[in-house]
Parts: sequence; structure tokens; C-alpha cells
Amino acid sequence: MLIEYFPILLFILIGIGFGFVPMIAGKLVGPSKPDPEKLSPYECGFEAFEDTRMKFDVRYYLVAILFILFDLEIAFLFPWAIVLEEIGMFGFVAMMIFLGILVVGFIYEWKKGALDWE
Amino acid sequence: MDFQTAVFYFLSTILVVASLRVITARNPVHAALYLVLSFFTAGGVWMLLRAEFLAIALVLVYVGAVMVLFLFVVMMLDINIERLREGFWANLVPGLIVAGLMLAEMFAVLGAKYFSAGAAPAPEAPAMDYSNTKELGRLIYTEYVYPFELASVILLVAIIAAIALTMRKRKDTKFQEPAKQIAVRREDRVRLVSMPAEKE
Repeated sequence: MLIEYFPILLFILIGIGFGFVPMIAGKLVGPSKPDPEKLSPYECGFEAFEDTRMKFDVRYYLVAILFILFDLEIAFLFPWAIVLEEIGMFGFVAMMIFLGILVVGFIYEWKKGALDWE
Repeated sequence: MDFQTAVFYFLSTILVVASLRVITARNPVHAALYLVLSFFTAGGVWMLLRAEFLAIALVLVYVGAVMVLFLFVVMMLDINIERLREGFWANLVPGLIVAGLMLAEMFAVLGAKYFSAGAAPAPEAPAMDYSNTKELGRLIYTEYVYPFELASVILLVAIIAAIALTMRKRKDTKFQEPAKQIAVRREDRVRLVSMPAEKE
């Protein structure tokens, strides 16, 4: 079983290599002569007045929460789909009840306007 | 040391380092990204334990969805490191109490009885055509069907709670409603007034 996942491991290793080798090579090979003026954000003009970090409203937040819940629903659908022939009508009805309850939630959020982008 | 053990040590090293960086990184965004890395490598370790469905679900749900939310929360916070530091000593005592209680509970639950190396032998290699996901499916939808339906009720509660807690309508936004725009009829907009012809 694990041998089937060997390509993924290979992919991860190559990905790590692709990420790290250019960074390390750049650090080793590239010239680096730091200078306070060179490293400052603006060479001329005002210094920054205040911190750039501030609160902002991520309105996509609610959609992200709702996405997690339906993502979990998908996680339940995968094992169901591959054994559907074995569990027969009972399993099918069980999943339909599961989906039905979640559709109630879906209708609720739709009617409530949680999916609207104002 | 065979190949599988080498992979285990490789993933575990990354996992331990990434988890340590989650709690030591100064920048909360970096901490969240290290958490993504540790979820990923934990998925790899689970895969080595032959829990393939759980491993993929961890990547799908935690890396795909939960971490996006974490990054949003980090963005919404007003991150001022100096101000975060101020509360360190004041919060140290309650924090230590909570951490100590959690540690004691964890020891009580998974103490030496369950957690020693001998208590959890490596799963023996199953047949070649064995599918972890298939076994899970066989159990969830037949034997454990009641907890499965309960899970959907819990998800429903979570949907409603999320909407109730975080949704707020803005009054000052202007937006179009295409359905209303299409449904409009000529009579709503144009008024024909019959007038007598005018003479100069």
C-alpha cells in the first residue's frame, strides 16, 4: 500500500529541493554588501509615520467558515462513494439523511444572506 | 535502518522543528505557516501508519480549510508585538495552570498503559488489495450510522452558530439585485399620458 505513495514522497523531496536550493545558492553565490541606506524602506522622503499593520475587515471570513463545514461533508462522501455497492440501499439512505440535514443548513445560510456579497 | 524508518525520522524531524517554531515564531503569520508545515508532515507520519484516509483528510480539511481561516484571523488581529508582550507576566500564571491541567489530563488518559512503545505495535502489513478508506466506509455507514447522522446535526449546529455569530449586515453598502432588474416591466418605469395636441 505504502509503495503507491512513493511518487508523492518523491514529489515532496523534489519540491523541498526546488524551494531550498535556489535560496541557498543565492545566499552563497550572490554578492551581499548591506548598507543602512540600502536597507531602509525609502531612500529619500519621509520616514513612515505609523505602523502599516492595521485591522481590516475580511468579509470572506464567514464564507471560509462555511467552507470548512462543507469540506468536512466532502470528507464523509469519499469513503461512502467507494463502498456504495457493498453497503447497498441502507448506506445510500443513511447518506441521503446526512445530506438532507446539511441541506437544511445550506438553505438556512442562503435565505439568511450569508452567501451574498452585499 | 530500512527506507520506511528513514522516511519516518525525516518527517518526524520536520514535524518537531515545525511545531516548536509554531510556538516560538515572533510573527503570528509565520507561526500559522509553520502550523501548515506541521499538519503536512503529520499527514505523512499517519500515512506511514497506514491510515491513508486520515492522512489525506488531514491535508484536505486542516491544510485546505482550517489554515485559511487561521490566516484570516491572524490578518484581522491587530498585531502589535510590543503590546502582546505586555500581558506576558500577567497571563503567565493562568496560562501555566491551564497548561498543567491539560498535561495532567493527557497523562491520565494516555499514560504508560497505552502510550509505551510496546502498547502500540506497528500494524502488520495488510494484503496488497486492502484499502483503508474502503474499510472505513464499510463501518461508518453500517455499524456506526447513528454517530454518523449525529455528525451531520453537529455540522448543522455549527453552520447556524457561525452565521449567528459572525454575520452582520452593512447598511452603507450599495449593490444591485439582478433579479429585480430583470423582473422590471415597462409599466413600472414609463407612464403614458394622453394629452391634447398643442397649437402654436
